[in-house]
Amino acid sequence: MTQIGQTAQMRLEGVSLSYGAKLVLSDINLDIARGEIVSVVGPSGCGKTTSLRVLAGLVSPSGGRIVYEGTPLSGPRRDIAIVFQDYGKALLPWRTAYQNISLALETMGTDKSERPDRIHALLKLIGLGNHADKFPSQMSGGMQQRLQIARALAQEPSVLLMDEPFGALDAMTRQTLQDELLTLSTKTGATIYFVTHDLEEAVYLSDRVVGLLPNPGRVGRIFDVNLPRPRDQLTTRESPEFLHLRHELYQFVKGAEQ
Amino acid sequence: MTLARTIGFIASLAVAILFIFLWHLVTLYKLVPPVFLPPPMKTYDALVQGLASGPLLKASLATLQRMLLGWLLACVAGVGIGALVGTSPVLMRYLGPTLEAFRPIPASALIPVLIAIVGLSEGMILSVIAFGALWPMLLATIHGLQSVEPLLYDVAGALRMNMATIISKIGLPSAVPDILAAMRLSLTIALILATVCEMLSGNTGLGQWLLYSARQFSSANLFAGILILGVFGYLTNALMTVAERHLLRWKSPHEANRAGIA
Repeated sequence: MTQIGQTAQMRLEGVSLSYGAKLVLSDINLDIARGEIVSVVGPSGCGKTTSLRVLAGLVSPSGGRIVYEGTPLSGPRRDIAIVFQDYGKALLPWRTAYQNISLALETMGTDKSERPDRIHALLKLIGLGNHADKFPSQMSGGMQQRLQIARALAQEPSVLLMDEPFGALDAMTRQTLQDELLTLSTKTGATIYFVTHDLEEAVYLSDRVVGLLPNPGRVGRIFDVNLPRPRDQLTTRESPEFLHLRHELYQFVKGAEQ
Repeated sequence: MTLARTIGFIASLAVAILFIFLWHLVTLYKLVPPVFLPPPMKTYDALVQGLASGPLLKASLATLQRMLLGWLLACVAGVGIGALVGTSPVLMRYLGPTLEAFRPIPASALIPVLIAIVGLSEGMILSVIAFGALWPMLLATIHGLQSVEPLLYDVAGALRMNMATIISKIGLPSAVPDILAAMRLSLTIALILATVCEMLSGNTGLGQWLLYSARQFSSANLFAGILILGVFGYLTNALMTVAERHLLRWKSPHEANRAGIA
């Protein structure tokens, strides 16, 4: 999807980050095009989640900068939404599904009269149409993560930052949500920055996979994924190209761990 | 579950009846002189007569009103100050030591001081109740705000919430379980302090009623007053339980069980 000459929606320019004396990210350069799905993989401690937090504006880089839509990023923006791995903690347990989505609209000052329609549309989009009045504790993990995605979508984001969103889900639910995410990406056109430790997931979803190396976290290799879309859990995953990429990624991460 | 609950209810009722029966036996065989311990029936008569003819009803309502008003004042002050202190490290640093110094002072110790300042007035009683009942709520609010799930601050950050919104939409709701437990505790404190203040100030109320009844060796009236205090304590606690069950219905059954509200 990235073509030469296409301007980047988001650009990391020599981004580095240190906590005290420890360098966590070192000189990361990456262009992300509008609507692109970029996955980030690498061994633990390579700064995957940290890179996401920097892109979210939750953490300021110690060096370099992030350019978003042509201007330097100075903090969190409402058109950059985050989906956290730990859905159980990222949702407000005292609010129903409906009210959790409402949180985003309330904060953004969306007109009160507009909220119900938008919330119901989002619940329907994410497959929770019949669960509006359920509390998170009454929902399965998959439903809770769907709800968190719906809350992120309520921000009408141009960029969706996802931190191992499906890592805690069982295999079947994970595959269902992967396909739902791809559908959403087509529908909304949002750029997706997807942190995962699941190499197959990275290949399956992405246009490009960024392989990070640890100590300090830095870009090791960028893998282009030229698999045709729409992707299919069976045929895509069985294609030689997919298996080849999976093989390469596996060797990259294996090598990075040593 | 429902069967167990029904059995539990019947058992608790049986215990209460057994207790009254024992009380009856003790007075029947005069194990304690009736001038100190009246028989249950005489207490019941005094209760009915006192309520019907007025003075006991008037005293009861006065006490109930003081207790609830003082408690409400304590709720507002406790949660309000707690919200400020719990979210501002600066305020915490400046106010913390002073609050810690005030906290262990028994509220009853303030009664003479407040009598000197505001006199034997209604305001004195409400101030004492509010001061005494304030602490559990204050501490629970601070604790609740300080133990907010850290990830929720990231959620708030990503939505660019301002401080006031974070407190009202995330901090305080997340502290609600702590605050409710403290409110229940404070109800008891408020009832105790209302009674003590009435005893000392002579203002109409159950405290004064108890003291006068004791001085007149009217044990039936004395016990009628105590019974009403018990009923007040029981009813307000039951109302809090209903409120908690409703407000904390979002908790998973497991958590609710642990909190003892299921």
